[in-house]
Amino acid sequence: MSHDTHHAPVASKLDLAPERSDLGFIRPDRTTGWVDWLTTVDHKKIGILYGAFAMLFFLIGGVEALAIRTQLIRPDNDFVTARMYNQLFTMHGTTMIFLGVMPLSAAFFNFLVPLQIGARDVAFPRLNAFSLWTFVFGAFVLNASWLFEFGHLAGWFNSFDWYKALVYTDFAPANGWFSYAPLSGTFGQADATLQAPRFTGVGTDFWIIGLQVLGIASLAASFNFICTIINLRAKGMTMMRLPVFTWMTLVTSFLIILAFPAITVALIELMFDRQFGANFFNPSAGGQPVLWQHLFWIFGHPEVYILVLPAMGIVSEILPTFSGKSLFGYPIIVFSGAVIGFLGFAVWSHHMFTTGLGPVPTAAFALLTMAIAVPTGVKIFNWIGTLWGGRIRFTPPMVLALGFIWMFMCGGFSGVMHSSAPADSQQQDSYFVIAHFHYVLLGGVLLGLMAGLYFWFPKIFGRMPNAPLAYLASGLVILGFNMAFGPMHYLGLAGMARRTHTYHAGNGWETWNYVATIGAYILGAGVFLAFMNLVWTAFKGKKCSSDPWDGRTLEWSLPSPVPEYNFAQSPIISGRDAFFEDKHGSRRIGYENDGGNAGVHMPSQSWMPLVAGAGFLFIGLGMPMMSMRIPHAGWFVITGLAVLFVGIWLWALEGPGGYMLKTPAAPSTSDQPAPAAATSAH
Amino acid sequence: MSKGGLQMTSFLQSYTRPNTTMMFSRFFSRVGLFAAPFLALLIAGCSKADYTVRKSTLDPKGPVAQVQYDVFMDTVWLVLVLFVLVGGMLVYAVIRFRSRPGDDDKSPIIEEGHGNPLVEIGLITASIGSLVFIAVPTLSAIWYTDDVPAESVPTSKLSAWYPRLEAGKEVYAKAVEEQVLEIDVIGKQWWFRFEYPQLGLTNDAKHSVPNEMVIPRGKAVRINLRSEDVIHSFWIPKIAGKVDLMPGRKNHMWIQGNELGHYYGQCAEFCGDSHAYMMFRCEVVEPEEFAKWVQHQKSEADPVAAETKAEKGKALFGAKTCAMCHNISGHFGAGAFGPDLTHVASRKSLAGSWMDNRDPVAQLAAEKKGTGNTEASAPVDRATLKANLIKWIGSSGVSTGADGKPTKDVKPGNRMHYYKMFNVVSLKETHQTFSADELDCLAEYLLTLK
Amino acid sequence: MSQAADAHVAPTSTGIDHKKLIMWLFLASDCMFFGTLISTHLLYRKLYPTGFTDAQGHQHFIQNLFNLELTSFSTFILLMSSFLMALAVSAMHKAEIKSFRRNVLGVIFFGLIFLGCQVYEFTHFYHQGLTIQNSVLGSTFYVLTGTHGTHVAIGVLWLVLLYFYSFTGKLGGHMGALDVEVAGLYWHFVDIVWIIIFTLVYLVEYLGPSGIWGSGLPALTQ
Repeated sequence: MSHDTHHAPVASKLDLAPERSDLGFIRPDRTTGWVDWLTTVDHKKIGILYGAFAMLFFLIGGVEALAIRTQLIRPDNDFVTARMYNQLFTMHGTTMIFLGVMPLSAAFFNFLVPLQIGARDVAFPRLNAFSLWTFVFGAFVLNASWLFEFGHLAGWFNSFDWYKALVYTDFAPANGWFSYAPLSGTFGQADATLQAPRFTGVGTDFWIIGLQVLGIASLAASFNFICTIINLRAKGMTMMRLPVFTWMTLVTSFLIILAFPAITVALIELMFDRQFGANFFNPSAGGQPVLWQHLFWIFGHPEVYILVLPAMGIVSEILPTFSGKSLFGYPIIVFSGAVIGFLGFAVWSHHMFTTGLGPVPTAAFALLTMAIAVPTGVKIFNWIGTLWGGRIRFTPPMVLALGFIWMFMCGGFSGVMHSSAPADSQQQDSYFVIAHFHYVLLGGVLLGLMAGLYFWFPKIFGRMPNAPLAYLASGLVILGFNMAFGPMHYLGLAGMARRTHTYHAGNGWETWNYVATIGAYILGAGVFLAFMNLVWTAFKGKKCSSDPWDGRTLEWSLPSPVPEYNFAQSPIISGRDAFFEDKHGSRRIGYENDGGNAGVHMPSQSWMPLVAGAGFLFIGLGMPMMSMRIPHAGWFVITGLAVLFVGIWLWALEGPGGYMLKTPAAPSTSDQPAPAAATSAH
Repeated sequence: MSKGGLQMTSFLQSYTRPNTTMMFSRFFSRVGLFAAPFLALLIAGCSKADYTVRKSTLDPKGPVAQVQYDVFMDTVWLVLVLFVLVGGMLVYAVIRFRSRPGDDDKSPIIEEGHGNPLVEIGLITASIGSLVFIAVPTLSAIWYTDDVPAESVPTSKLSAWYPRLEAGKEVYAKAVEEQVLEIDVIGKQWWFRFEYPQLGLTNDAKHSVPNEMVIPRGKAVRINLRSEDVIHSFWIPKIAGKVDLMPGRKNHMWIQGNELGHYYGQCAEFCGDSHAYMMFRCEVVEPEEFAKWVQHQKSEADPVAAETKAEKGKALFGAKTCAMCHNISGHFGAGAFGPDLTHVASRKSLAGSWMDNRDPVAQLAAEKKGTGNTEASAPVDRATLKANLIKWIGSSGVSTGADGKPTKDVKPGNRMHYYKMFNVVSLKETHQTFSADELDCLAEYLLTLK
Repeated sequence: MSQAADAHVAPTSTGIDHKKLIMWLFLASDCMFFGTLISTHLLYRKLYPTGFTDAQGHQHFIQNLFNLELTSFSTFILLMSSFLMALAVSAMHKAEIKSFRRNVLGVIFFGLIFLGCQVYEFTHFYHQGLTIQNSVLGSTFYVLTGTHGTHVAIGVLWLVLLYFYSFTGKLGGHMGALDVEVAGLYWHFVDIVWIIIFTLVYLVEYLGPSGIWGSGLPALTQ
């Protein structure tokens, strides 16, 4: 029985002797270079990979947005066709939400949460890697639709029989990011091949399966993070001593595991309608299209809180650091985050005010939506309270965090306007909605995430991003963003409908569309500059100390970049902002008697998460190919399922492995509990 | 200070040193300087013309839009107050509590972060209270806009303003005379069909009204909404907020136009490739005008003069199988799927109201008369209408123009040209090609259908 | 092996094993998943209470379609399988491998009987005219119960793999008992979901003279 994972502790993983897993394969623990990155289970590396991919997809989504704005720069424009425009806004929304914001948040969850709670890694390191690779393959599947679309436009498929038989030739999804049925579904009777007539082509199938795969990635990651936060906290790190960012990660993860099933079911039902002639949303057979909307928004509304809560958590870390004061009303901020999460499940039909719900449900959802403004407002008050009486330093992260508060507040205001259903009946499906959600998502979430990137970059890479460039980029982003989306409030109120690829002159919309497009280009330049600054810094930036900002939470107590084992000795905590207190106050961080020469236990690297994730690639490409009736496409799906199954099975059988890594001895005395400060009741 | 404190001080100082603070203030003031005239322009630029544009929601012309506008303004005031208060606090805090040189020498602020429960509770209570300010009018407006209010029925019911008999014939049945006027709106990709079932203007009776509805001034009208394919939405911003047309479900709303004029509507739920082109019009006329219009809708097309281009066009209309989908009362009675063309020459718009049949110069002049009167309308211009007809019928991605190249779609995917996709009828592809002369004749024929 | 494996299992903040906690979280999520599917089914039952009308215009009454005896039998079998699962977990805790194997085999066997009954039921309904394509009822019924059946099948597969793994000698000690317990949690969950489906999909059709939907059907007389 070769469970001999307990080697003598080594100083570096390169010193390990080759070790075989229970399957007999050599574990990739000693690898470097790209094999190391492909098999890593280190939460920090996984976080960096998430971040890199997210930034890439942000740029792709941004190009899609610029194409949209270019088309709309003047009336009756024909920069892109109607079909292409519809595909652009669909992919722009889907990319930004699922491939941009969520993975960037995941990057922060991955890198920071174990550090902030004093742990060495997440509860299930290989599951973490699986989430990453499943996300990567899901993102590829979704964007593969563009490849097919370009092939179609270039005429590569013209000689194939399956292509000639297609009725609809939209290969990239074109139904908007919420893909309402029955436009995305079927109508009439299913024929002998079990397919009912439909309104759209295989683009919708790419969207369905892409989202399913991405959903699995998110779910797996969230299970992991909840388990980590609940189960792997350092000694003394009670729940009410957790940094707010970790709290928001916890709430967000709960939202994900409880909200994603709704869209999973909705997508399954839609897929069954399209592939197997089911009637969930087929009005000809008695299906109710409004059911799609209910299921989608039961997911969709919590989804927007999934998008914003991490950014709020980030801002809740940055503001205290650069005000030099602890967060005002920590318990209330945590509680309001939980309330937002909870109430987030109660307001979904405010996206459906115009569907004819009837006055009673409309009234109920209007009131609940107004109610959810309260905990959000509480957060803003508490952030201002944090600034109040502080000593504010306008570093790039702080400028972005303050921008977040300002822009998110504006976005929240337009949200309050939407909450009133009668007013919303004029605003719904107009540019006013676009203005609202871009203010909260771009002005809010993106600024918050960018603030986080600039804040934690020194910790991740040990290098400081160039400050003047950061200020310039931030200025361009804020200026460009307001120029692009401020006028959209007016455009919406002036009757410009959303998701329209063109408009006539004479409606009074020309000037502000022009201004908005210019603003979009400035915004694009700013974002590009901000990202380039970071990429350049990662390789060539100026090195900085491990605590350049006088940080408050545990991650700042570690060297930059953070060593693989995170903490040389596990910390013992006795209050909030433990590191700040340790530096400036009377409470010291204690350290357990682990690590040192006895070593700490490190998880083994593995190929299996990548292999299992690759199964989704085949499934993801196979399903749309089946829809296109490409011969033998079903084998693709079966192969994918087999690869997935084999990957998981081998993963289970290879055993967790692990090795012991020596760590440096702690600078302060070990295993002395910190003196309990008289005031710390928490 | 312990751990790296000394190490970090000099770095921190770079952020509190005068030149960095100044650098930031310079940056900030530059942004502010840039923003200020921009904002000023924005505010100054908001003239009446800006909020009375064709589809403005800020220029209500009927009670439903008015109530929705009033509730909206309530939210605007609330938000403005909050913006000044909260935004003001934020700006004040950022300026007042910015770090100053010498702060590094002061001892760090250590406190427990309890917050101030009184302040918290106070703010929460104030938030809830301010939401009540908008909740009350919201609830009231939800019920008001849901269906025709009881107090409107006495003046709006048919018997109050529409004589039941005309020249001895029944315009509407006695059974419905206590009802308000009802219009059925049927959404299709990518046009609207309007039916007035009480008045016999239905598709079954071959008198349906495509894309341009007419309603009597000052009378509440009930709208029944349904869709034959995907979700659409019925939105005339100046008259009322939108309600969706859901397939498999019957929705309803009510509208009332209090000012005469020609109003612009739009489908406001993404419904496919040509969603942007799916528009419609609503004309508000005096009740007497309305009655005349109904009668006109029921009339048949005049016979076409012999030996004219129009006669050739009429023959083409049948030969090219247009008649299989389009009804022309008195000439071709088989069509029921496409828009009814019996009175196409009197319509101010074409192709889902995307194309306008009025002379653009005349229309602009009409709108400019009497500041921002976008409801004014020039009459239908024969030349413009003819050009539109030729363009619409002759242009599609699958037809070829005179130069042998495929013409550009007016409405991509539309069922007139792309019938194959929708299994409508098995029409032969060749029917899609028209020579310039054929188009001319067809247009001349359609121009007779007033 | 087990001793060495146990030695570096760090204590968790809550005292609950990671695997157990993550299974509970997964089950919470799966609750929402089944809840959504069940809601869809109930919604459509409320809209179309009698059953469905097929393309030929025949009305099919759902009471005449369901075979309550068979479904009650399969429900009982699944319940018994849960009982055997509990015994298997208990055996593992006491390190009685042979007893564990016997009980797990029983669970697998009963699970297969359940699946067999489902397959029989589906075939029977199909021949009686209920398909996924021809009605909303067919769509929601087959997808809901089919999804549950898939969960059972995955569970059976998992238990089969555990059964064979137990012969390698690697299944034992604290971690082995944990693995079996986690599988047990999943199995019990699948069983409980079936109880709910059985009640809401099958039983409610028979409450009162004409089912809970008050469809006006005559009481079921056989």
